[in-house]
Amino acid sequence: MAIYILKRTYQLIIVFLLFLVLSYLLFNAIPGNAFQSLLLNPDLPKEAYQRVLETYGLDKPLFERLQLYIINFFKGDFGYSYNYYPKTPIDLIAERLPRTLMLFALVNVVSFYTGFIVGKILAWRRGSKSETWITITSVFSYTVFYPWFALLMLYFFGYKLGWLPIGKFIYPEKWYDAPFDSDVVFITMIKFTVVATFIQFLAFIFTRNIESLTNRKTARLVSFVLLLLGSYFYWGSGSALEQRTYAADIAYHMILPVFTVTIVAFAGTALLTRTTMMEVLKDDYILTARAKGLSQKRIRDRHAARTALLPVVTSFIFTIITIIDGSVLTETIFSWPGMGQLILQSVTQEDIPVAMATFSFVGILALVAHFLADISYAYLDPRIRIKSQG
Amino acid sequence: MENNEFKNRSPKEVSKQIRKENFKRNWLLFKQSKLGMTGLVIIAFFLFLAILQPILFATGIWSRGVYDPVVGYDSQKVDLLVVECPKEYPTEKYETNQDCPAKDEINIRVLLLRPDVKVGDTYEAFLQPAPPSSKHILGTDSLGRDVFSQIMEGSQVAFLLGLLSATLGVGISTLLGTIAAYFGGRVDAYLMRQSDLVLMLPSLPLLFIISAFAELKVWHLAIVLGVIGGLGGSVITIKSQALQVKVKPFVDSARITGGSKLKIMFSHVLPNVAPLALLFMVFSVTGAIASESVLSFLGLLNIDMSWGLMIYLSQTDGYIFSGLRYWWLILPAGLSVTLLAGGFYLVGRGLDDVFNPRLRKR
Repeated sequence: MAIYILKRTYQLIIVFLLFLVLSYLLFNAIPGNAFQSLLLNPDLPKEAYQRVLETYGLDKPLFERLQLYIINFFKGDFGYSYNYYPKTPIDLIAERLPRTLMLFALVNVVSFYTGFIVGKILAWRRGSKSETWITITSVFSYTVFYPWFALLMLYFFGYKLGWLPIGKFIYPEKWYDAPFDSDVVFITMIKFTVVATFIQFLAFIFTRNIESLTNRKTARLVSFVLLLLGSYFYWGSGSALEQRTYAADIAYHMILPVFTVTIVAFAGTALLTRTTMMEVLKDDYILTARAKGLSQKRIRDRHAARTALLPVVTSFIFTIITIIDGSVLTETIFSWPGMGQLILQSVTQEDIPVAMATFSFVGILALVAHFLADISYAYLDPRIRIKSQG
Repeated sequence: MENNEFKNRSPKEVSKQIRKENFKRNWLLFKQSKLGMTGLVIIAFFLFLAILQPILFATGIWSRGVYDPVVGYDSQKVDLLVVECPKEYPTEKYETNQDCPAKDEINIRVLLLRPDVKVGDTYEAFLQPAPPSSKHILGTDSLGRDVFSQIMEGSQVAFLLGLLSATLGVGISTLLGTIAAYFGGRVDAYLMRQSDLVLMLPSLPLLFIISAFAELKVWHLAIVLGVIGGLGGSVITIKSQALQVKVKPFVDSARITGGSKLKIMFSHVLPNVAPLALLFMVFSVTGAIASESVLSFLGLLNIDMSWGLMIYLSQTDGYIFSGLRYWWLILPAGLSVTLLAGGFYLVGRGLDDVFNPRLRKR
């Protein structure tokens, strides 16, 4: 296992260096340079322009600049943003990334959970009328043209019914005399969500081995209620009490994007689970379980679904790569100030340092996801695990 | 299949016969899948629309000046009743400020340049997002262009882009996957690292950057999407399929009888990978159509007319938030993208049932 991990790490480092070179060459291909707007100023003497180019090293040969870029990349030096001048790209990413990660981590957890359950039921009820209808609905939501669908949702819930806000991160008028930065409140929210999810996850793990299905259900319900009580006390005391109204404002703005993306995203998981479940149900050990006289629900949940979980888990890790992709659209439509919006803005407004930093950052994220997917697959699939041991 | 049926025939004819039988059997299997047939019907419908438009133009049933999807113009003459909208709501006639002016009325305050018009007169106006009528089946957009014609043009774009990029992508990935499986060693290692690299690239931001330095036209985009899709993850899947084919006895026997490497690869391994490749192709059409629509929706594509652009225009003109009052500007384009992408996906599912015997019903 250790050798396998080492080998993968070595390969990924090479791939990442290639990625850096490729991304530099891509940005280098954009016509004009950062100081083109200076040249357009008729009062500027030609020598001054030349001097600027020399100061910033833009007249050096391509290979030397590439070298400099890679060295600066590992120093974490990306220069300054043109649009938000005193801020560096790293500052901007540090500000924007938590917002994107929070939104999409929530979406992914919810959509994978519902998708897995729906897919399980779909495969189990093969050939019934409800299966046809659920399949049609999930194919529709899988292939629906996302921006269009999101705009319609925004229209319906935000404008026609008026239940939810139309985009944006906060209501600015509520924050005029706020003692906190919105980011501070948001970080508190992230900490809370992470802890809550972790506790819920632990509860799931510990109740997993309870034999009786009804007992397990009650145990899970009790743990959920305890979690709810705990969070009630957390938000009702100390510094969290002061931040509560502001946190509620942010949460209120998160509902619609989370809901919309979940509707679109759960279908992919459901369809994948259905396919793998159907393959699993043909296996011999399911027949054995039936012959032993186990209840239908137990066969479905204990024997079939657990095996079908494997590809779903890997696809869950692979979605980390597509998070940024998906976030571009979601954040543009819902005006959610996150990474996706930053990438689109920086590319369309030619804010090259930010664009380069975000692009390579997405690369790092993909790299980590790729690595995790490989390792977890090797860990979950006994065939790979045993082969690398022997 | 009787064996003496093939007597006294050349091997070419025999293989042709076998292929025909295979096709027939697969078609019968495909016909059983309801989802696949639904998808096929949807695709056929949009193909019909795409072909119909040039025919209508060529036969002169539609004149270019009125029905051209980009530069055509037509408006509907309507008589509107001039009213004065109240300052406070609700009144007897109107409940909210959105109800005034109603469909066949016009607010006098917008007629600043016509001081001779009084309240209660009829005013002759040219309606520009005109509602559907017998002349324009789906009405006209805010510039007086026929929406139905735009939908037809959009389906031409979608088919051109989807099929071109899918063919290119699947061609590349099948070739590379087979090469990686057949030659192994260093070639394999290189190709796998390359697809790792392409998998790492975030596709939408990459397309943004490419659109920043090159004016993307439809066929440029098709090539870019095809190459990215063809070098990415599908190579890995096709390689694993080709590895399974490579160890089959007929490949060994071909090698023993003295077939060259290339010959074995092209005439023995490739045809057995083809079903999987076809499956990939159908699924990647869905992705290509969605990418094109997203790029034109964000206004990054140099294109005259497409479904994504129609949605982009209806959003920037502010009709999306008018609800269903201007439904012909909002619904047709979005539904077309969804339906065609869904159609290709469903056909892929049907083919999956055919080529993957484990999924077949009982």
